[in-house]
Amino acid sequence: MSPELLFQQALNGLSFGALLFILAAGLSLVFGMMDVVNLAHGAFYMLGAYVALTVVQFTGSFWLALAAAPVALGALGLAIEPLLLRHLRGRHLDQVLLTIGVSLVIVDQIGLIWGREVRSLPFPPGLDGTVVLIGGVYPVYRLFVIAFGVALAAVIAVIYRRTKLGMLIRAGVEDAEMLGALGVNTDRLFALTFAVGAALAGLAGVIAAPVFGLQPGMDVDALLYSLVVVVVGGLGTLGGAVAGSVLVGPVDTFGKVLFQEFALAVIFAIVALVLLFKPTGLLGRIRIAR
Amino acid sequence: MGGFTKMNGLAAKRGYTYRLTRRQFLVASSAAALAACAPAAVTPGASGSPSAAPGKELKIGQLLPFTGVYAELGNSMRRATELYLRQNDQKLANRPVKLIYEDDTNVTATGIQKAQKFIDQDKVDVMMGVVPTPLAYGIRNAVHEAKMIFIDTNAGGNALTRDTPDCKPACKSPYIFRSSFSSYQISFPIGDYLSAKGTKDWFLAYANYGFGTESKADFTTGLKKNGGNVTGEVAPPLGNADFAPFVTQIKNQPTKNVYSFFSGADAIGFIKTWNQLGLPAAGYKMYGAGFLTEQDVLKEVKDLANGAITSLFWAVELDNAENKKFVADFQKQYPLLPDVFAVQQYDGMRALDEALKKLGGDTSDKDKFSKALEDVTFKSPRGDFAFDKTTHNPIQDIYLREVKTTGGQTVNTILDKIAKVTDPGK
Repeated sequence: MSPELLFQQALNGLSFGALLFILAAGLSLVFGMMDVVNLAHGAFYMLGAYVALTVVQFTGSFWLALAAAPVALGALGLAIEPLLLRHLRGRHLDQVLLTIGVSLVIVDQIGLIWGREVRSLPFPPGLDGTVVLIGGVYPVYRLFVIAFGVALAAVIAVIYRRTKLGMLIRAGVEDAEMLGALGVNTDRLFALTFAVGAALAGLAGVIAAPVFGLQPGMDVDALLYSLVVVVVGGLGTLGGAVAGSVLVGPVDTFGKVLFQEFALAVIFAIVALVLLFKPTGLLGRIRIAR
Repeated sequence: MGGFTKMNGLAAKRGYTYRLTRRQFLVASSAAALAACAPAAVTPGASGSPSAAPGKELKIGQLLPFTGVYAELGNSMRRATELYLRQNDQKLANRPVKLIYEDDTNVTATGIQKAQKFIDQDKVDVMMGVVPTPLAYGIRNAVHEAKMIFIDTNAGGNALTRDTPDCKPACKSPYIFRSSFSSYQISFPIGDYLSAKGTKDWFLAYANYGFGTESKADFTTGLKKNGGNVTGEVAPPLGNADFAPFVTQIKNQPTKNVYSFFSGADAIGFIKTWNQLGLPAAGYKMYGAGFLTEQDVLKEVKDLANGAITSLFWAVELDNAENKKFVADFQKQYPLLPDVFAVQQYDGMRALDEALKKLGGDTSDKDKFSKALEDVTFKSPRGDFAFDKTTHNPIQDIYLREVKTTGGQTVNTILDKIAKVTDPGK
């Protein structure tokens, strides 16, 4: 592999990793706070992409779609938590099953509303070109995805460490019950967390749509990748989501071109290794069974 | 009118809801009303012609995907089936048709169960459909042993219409016909053609699954016939999301002519990434099996596909009377263009219709039924249609098409034709 090729593939891997971060951050957040592996996360991602498709069709603006889809998904999350999940609080397995049900309903509704054919979102004007980098031209949009991922990680880190909301989230992850006892409205905090998780999934859907397209089954792929990322990185922490996506993105990219016959096996080999040697994930916290 | 509503009633009982748009309903019901009124008005009281009394109900089992990644193919094939029946007063050879749809849900085991249901429970007169090759292979023995006439209207795996050692993974049967294509037919002739034209070095990109690898092998054999040569390849997994790693590999090797086997979402991802990484400007040229640039793909990528050269046995732009009528009728019935899957299904219905007419509608003797199908020939939207008597695979012309955008419309324009391609049968 020539240095130019190596560089280009590394960028490919990083931009894929950045997208995985946007996708996995929401899943990780919800788990950290609520102890629920939200298996509807892939369906939220898919719905975000289809909402973006409609917004772009009607307004022609990718940027409006980038704002509208997270808002729509956030609203959905804000409704689902109190209406459905809250009633099963404390029953983690039942909650997980419930999220599978939610994902089935969402995916079928998408099929009814938008149809089941393959769709695509055009690249936003201004980001559809290429720039000259080492070893040739490289698409601007993929650089934008990397920048967006980094910026999002920074924003989340600041909220986490420097704001009252971040403090509440960190406290909630540590011990939600105690937080409630101290007079914080945990119902509201949980609903908000779930909404933010859904909004992040929707955001990832919009960012991914121009590159990966929209089709039946995209929810399952997205869910699988985001689970891989959080398992490798460590569930429930921001650092874990960053570490997982920065590792999984490039490994998946290089694995696919270097070991074509085992393209799908490479990332699962990583998962197996991580689980074997560090069951909590690379940056996972040790959780005390409750 | 009665026939039409009865059809829907039966279909509803089978668990499928027919969503008619108001326009479709008006077109269909007024056509039915016209059909009902016309004879009465012209020849009152003279309904004594022998063909007027409808024959026994003809049950057709349609095994198609209506959920999962191939759902849109199933929908397209259902549209084609129903268009054909509407054009023929809901009858084949004077037998009123009862369609039984089953959804294979894109799971081979489910599809096999549904095929068994057609055979044992519904006791259908003929079976049609099947999109994925593994399912076609999976039901082959059951169909063969039950002497069930089965017209494969999509799955293209070579073995289904060939002699193979120990019938592995499948083999031809007197009762199995195919109205679509074999992998060989859409891959070997084009490899042969392109290398004969003087382009010897090729780089390959194909989806790494049964159909992709089979097509790639046949294409390579075609190339080698005229001293052509494969310089390298990339093989993304089927349903690969990110094509950048693979297109980057293509861009970092010297062979400019790239032949590819992708369809649907993969084709869209491949074409968009190809442009995004600047391959056209770097002098790379895209070739592929026809599914790379079919309507489902072109309507999403539009002029990004310009210049791509692909081969298939049909194109919506094909200039013949049957195709023009088919495309026009299809568009009158549905708010979209027909695709190649619709043509395969439509031709399957036509072949069945022609055979039944020869048999006077009698499907009881399956060997006679098979013979009648073997002898069917007609003018199809794709050109002359005939089954190869030894394999039951169609003998068909393969068209070379180039994607061009004119007046805002991106279409496949016909460049050349490879006449009467048959599958070698082994």
